[in-house]
Amino acid sequence: MNDTNTTLGELEFTRIYDAPRELVFTCMITAEHLTHFWGPIGVSTPIENITIDPRPGGVFETIMVNDEDGAEYPFRGVFVEVVEPEKLVWTEPDVEGGMTSSLTFTDLGDGRTEVVVHQSNVPEMYRTPEAQAGMQSSFDRFAAYVAGL
Amino acid sequence: MPLDPLSSTFAALADPTRRAILARLATGEATVNELAAPFDISLQAISKHLKVLERAGLITRGRNAQYRPCRLEAAPLDDAIGWIERHKQIWQERFDQLEQHLRDIQRAQKEPPK
Repeated sequence: MNDTNTTLGELEFTRIYDAPRELVFTCMITAEHLTHFWGPIGVSTPIENITIDPRPGGVFETIMVNDEDGAEYPFRGVFVEVVEPEKLVWTEPDVEGGMTSSLTFTDLGDGRTEVVVHQSNVPEMYRTPEAQAGMQSSFDRFAAYVAGL
Repeated sequence: MPLDPLSSTFAALADPTRRAILARLATGEATVNELAAPFDISLQAISKHLKVLERAGLITRGRNAQYRPCRLEAAPLDDAIGWIERHKQIWQERFDQLEQHLRDIQRAQKEPPK
C-alpha cells in the first residue's frame, strides 16, 4: 500500500483493488460487507454493531470487539458527503476536534478501482518540528517519525 | 470542556512556537528567559505557551521560585506517536481485509451454478 503524507496535518492512504468501482463502493457502505473487513486484524465488527446510513447527516457507527479479551472500540462518524459510487466523506466528532475522512473511488477503466482515503484535521502534530541536533529520548523518535511521514 | 490527555498533547503541538520550545528543551533544561531569547515575542507570551505545554504534561517546571527551569517530559509524546502508528496500522489492515473480501465475493459470483 502506498502510504504518503500530503499537506501538513493531513494523511493519505491509497490502495488499488482488482474489482469494479460499484462493488468496492457498495462494500464500504453496507453492514453485511463491512463486518468482513472493518477489522482491524484481531478485532471483529459484528454486523449488529454496525449502523450505517449513507447520506449527508446520516450516522456511521461501529463497535469493534477485540477477539482476545472482548474489549470494545466504538467508532462514531457522521456522513458529510455521499456521491455514489465516487465519494464518501465522514467526520468523527469525538476524535481530536473532528477528524474528517474523505474516500475517493476512481474507476481505472480496466476493472480495477483506486481508493484514496484522505484524512484532514488529523492531529496537527504531523508538522515537522524544527530540525534540531542533539534531541533525545522520545522527542528524537518523534522527529524521526514526523520527518519520515 | 476538558480535553483528554491525547487531545491536549496534539493541541499543544499544533503551535510552531511551542514545538520550537520543545525542540530547545530536548537539548536540556532552560529558564523562561533562555526560552524566550530566540523569539520576537514577549516573555508574557512565552509564559502562556509554557502553561499550555505544562498542562499537556509535555514539560515540568522546577520548584525554584526565581527561575523555575523547564524540562521536557517524554511520556505524552510517546502516547501521541503510538496513537498515529496504531491509526495507520488499522487502515492498512482494513484495506488488506477489504482486498480479501472483494476477492471472495467475486470468486463466489464467478462460480457456475450447480
